[in-house]
Amino acid sequence: MFRRRYRAAKVATAAAFVAVSLTLAACSGSSDVSSASGSAGGATGGSADASSENGTLKLWHYEGENSAMAIAWNKAIDIFKNEHPNVTVDFERKAFEQIQQNAGMILSSDEGPDVMEYNKGNATAGLLASQGLLTDLTEQAQSRGWADELSPSLQTTARYDEHGVMGSGNWYGVPNYGEYVMVYYNKDAFTANGIKVPTTLPEFTAAMDTFVAAGTTPVCMAGAEYPAGQLWYQLALTQADRSFVDDYQLYKNPVDFQNGPTAKGAEVFGEWVQKGYISAESASLKAEDMGTAFIGGKCPIMVSGSWWFGRLQDEIKTFDWGTFLFPGSKLSLGSSGNIWVVPQASENKELAYDFIDITMRPEVQNLLGNSGGIPIAADPSAITDPKTAELIKNFNTIAQSDGLAFYPDWPVPGFYDVLVAAFQSSINQSKSPSEVMDQIAGPYEEGVATIQAG
Amino acid sequence: MSVPVLTTADTPERSAGQRLADERAVKARDRLHRGAGRWVVLAIITFGALLMLIPFGMMLLNAFKSPADYSVNGPLSWPTEFYTNGLVNYWNASDYPLKLWNSTVIAGTVAVLAVAISLLNAYAIGVGRVKGRLWIVALFLLGNMIPQEALVYPLYFFAKQTGLYNTKLVVIIIFVVIQSAFGTYLLASVLGTFPKALLEAAALDGANRWQILWKVVFPIVRPTLSVLLIFFFIWTWNEFFIPLVMLIDNDTQTIPVALASLQGDRLMDAPTTNAGALISLIPAVIFFLIFQRTLTRGVTAGAIK
Amino acid sequence: MTVFAQQDNKAPTKRSAARPGRGGYWWYLVPGAILFVAVIGGPLIYNTFLSLTKWSGVGSPRFIGFGNYVRLFHDSVFWTSFKNSIAMIIAMVIIPTLIGLLLASVLFDYLGKRFGSSGISVLRAVFYLPQVLPVVVAGIVWGWILRPDGAFNAFLDAIGLSGFTKDWLGNPNTALPAVMLVMVWVQIGYPVVIFMSALGRVDPEIYEAAEIDGAGYWARFRAITLPQIRPETFVVALTCTIAALKVFGPIYALTRGGPENATNVPSYFAYYTFFKKLDVGYGAAIATVLTIIIVLVAVGIMQWQAASERKELSGS
Repeated sequence: MFRRRYRAAKVATAAAFVAVSLTLAACSGSSDVSSASGSAGGATGGSADASSENGTLKLWHYEGENSAMAIAWNKAIDIFKNEHPNVTVDFERKAFEQIQQNAGMILSSDEGPDVMEYNKGNATAGLLASQGLLTDLTEQAQSRGWADELSPSLQTTARYDEHGVMGSGNWYGVPNYGEYVMVYYNKDAFTANGIKVPTTLPEFTAAMDTFVAAGTTPVCMAGAEYPAGQLWYQLALTQADRSFVDDYQLYKNPVDFQNGPTAKGAEVFGEWVQKGYISAESASLKAEDMGTAFIGGKCPIMVSGSWWFGRLQDEIKTFDWGTFLFPGSKLSLGSSGNIWVVPQASENKELAYDFIDITMRPEVQNLLGNSGGIPIAADPSAITDPKTAELIKNFNTIAQSDGLAFYPDWPVPGFYDVLVAAFQSSINQSKSPSEVMDQIAGPYEEGVATIQAG
Repeated sequence: MSVPVLTTADTPERSAGQRLADERAVKARDRLHRGAGRWVVLAIITFGALLMLIPFGMMLLNAFKSPADYSVNGPLSWPTEFYTNGLVNYWNASDYPLKLWNSTVIAGTVAVLAVAISLLNAYAIGVGRVKGRLWIVALFLLGNMIPQEALVYPLYFFAKQTGLYNTKLVVIIIFVVIQSAFGTYLLASVLGTFPKALLEAAALDGANRWQILWKVVFPIVRPTLSVLLIFFFIWTWNEFFIPLVMLIDNDTQTIPVALASLQGDRLMDAPTTNAGALISLIPAVIFFLIFQRTLTRGVTAGAIK
Repeated sequence: MTVFAQQDNKAPTKRSAARPGRGGYWWYLVPGAILFVAVIGGPLIYNTFLSLTKWSGVGSPRFIGFGNYVRLFHDSVFWTSFKNSIAMIIAMVIIPTLIGLLLASVLFDYLGKRFGSSGISVLRAVFYLPQVLPVVVAGIVWGWILRPDGAFNAFLDAIGLSGFTKDWLGNPNTALPAVMLVMVWVQIGYPVVIFMSALGRVDPEIYEAAEIDGAGYWARFRAITLPQIRPETFVVALTCTIAALKVFGPIYALTRGGPENATNVPSYFAYYTFFKKLDVGYGAAIATVLTIIIVLVAVGIMQWQAASERKELSGS
């Protein structure tokens, strides 16, 4: 008897639970609608009288909590709030995966933000720009002086033409920081083996030979993610000039994968595996594994990007470390950082422009630099930490000599996985360098043909 | 998983046989509880269970490690200190309690509604024996057979048109359909063997189909419904792909989507991901433990009484 | 489990007035049908339409007829992914069903009777636990175990089998077996739970009668247990096969289909095409072909089930 009542109670509870939660769920839907219409009501005026504006600024980014960008942008948000006291800043930190996969869908709806961080490049920002999902920022860039603060090579990733190819056309995004690939090295290990910082590629090779002779695999590598492809590209760049980059990234001329820098880079990569500079067992390792191996002192050299810098500063306590530009190369992987974009569907564009402007101000840029990032418009004398100052100096050297060569997976959508697969074969030594080049040439050519056709 | 109602017919004759069975049971119990063989088997099975738990042990080992410790000493090492900052920061920054609530609401609602829809469908198919039921079951099962990537763009358009994009409701609707595909199949099979005698008796008493469903059918298949409830809750709890597409605002998101924010473009935070996942395991496991009592009953002889 | 077999012959000939016939039952299908059309039917048709177009996910699709399907037919990656699906079926259907059956029987029949049910419940919960873990985290943790310097190789070193250490997920020859191992670990709990539930409804008297007659454990298992739980066996076979053909999460988390397509499966291939290559039309074609294959296999299993029930009803 009791059991029957107990059962009935369970059913009743379940039914009530369903009714309540459906109501709640539906209500959360309608509250989204009302907040969208609420923000439409505000910010009707221009930026002339900021203090009398009402409304909401919906702001998204996906940089890690402790990263230099997040720290600097939090400050920018504070400044914005001071200057726009009647505006609510609705800031949400997002998952990178969600934005990358669904940006097109989000920006085609009215659930998107007013200003957001987005990845630079043809396949990402370029694609959305070509579909009219991003606001044209050219006028703002001119009038607010952003165009003057960014060097031409950094502007490449801010401007896209009608096909979504970077380098020319309207402004669609504004970067706050830069990034590039360099060589991280374990100073203590170098000293212990009597190695000086190499300035040419032969010196670099000799240094790695010394490590191999001493029984250590010198270069930390990860075959399952971006590092392998990036190393190949850097090796190719040691043989290349600007016109190669224009051909590869901007499709100015067809790229011959079997001859020229690409082929040479693949050969050298293959040699490095054979000579034991790169572990033959790194095909399944992820970038995270590579980083922790370096931090743990297991391998003394890591060829990767400035995005590791902050984390290395926090976590490396057991040895002295430093960075140097890849020897023997005028070109390096690198570009502007991710860019701020203003979705076309935004109804608070003036507020968005104001925010972007604030992020370009010296106090925000200096904070970014001092937190371990690479600002694009900071005062060099305001950077206090010597390692960071060196990091920024190296970046400026490359940027100003137009040495930023972007990244190898940019030209074609989905090329990232193609590169990973190809260089896993190289690490496993199951394909020769020319076979590896063949493997990537096909998808590259198909992809470029598609982009140029439509 | 059909109802063995056949045994009810034996009820009056069991008293004599039952006494005999009791005697045998007493003897059997002695036999069963003697001997070292059972301990050996228990040891082997327990060892297997411990092997299954190794990955969870590793999760535990790394959930409370500081990032520096994890990077330097690797995932196999014992933590140098009991570190909870990462988890605390993440808990606050991602408003984890809200995500737990969202996950619970979605998984719970889906579980209940999907069971209800499955029961309605299965009633028509199994008890009502409508025409073409093999194909109807196959059609419903289609919901389980289609890979989710194929559904995403069309569902996005559907959600946008109906204004349900970025709400929990659309995620609930989608998963009710997907889970009830399995439920319809299973329940239809169970109800297909439902004892006609009971249905006839109720009909003779003047009950209409609706009353028969709730007063006769429902109580008897409750154990099967409990099984479905558990499965649906757990399957929906861990769903990642469709919530990633549909839930854009942070205050509608579920735990798997929130955990994804720890994985950036090039860097990730492994210890905090483990800690967050460990916490998300707890409600699902509790749910399972609470309802698993019904799994033992399954559909037992004598339930009809 | 006799939905499909012709049990109607056993319906009583007397049709009372209180049983109005079968028409009214259709109303019970209405809620399910509406939801089905909105969430599955409509999208499926739209997906098929998309498979006839070229589209990048933004802007408007461009109609190209059967071009995607022709391309699919010549795509070696596509055929490789289906070959790998067979490995997934072995790892997610055959092995877990066999082990699950054995485990469920040992837990329920053997240990359950000798040790009481609460300990058995704990063991069952432990075997089911991998099913509760989010697949992304399972990927991270198994990555730690299967790395060249991970737990598994450390274990092999410790027991003196250093020669067998490998880069399990990086070597194309070992990657698929390694993924299969992870899949077995994930899947085992599901058949165990279902079979233990099924065993709960087998009348113990039948076992005892057989025991009295001198039948040993294995003889009882073959002659009584297996036929009694045949319905659940079909449920497990069908659902695990569908899951194996559709598997995506663990591949994404462990190997992203690599190395060199050694672990690529149709679902991951479709996902990559949809969202990385931004070739939505082609992705839709892959998904359509995958769905058709799953439907054919599933209907095949259901026909087999129906035939088996018919045989049972006709008295075997």
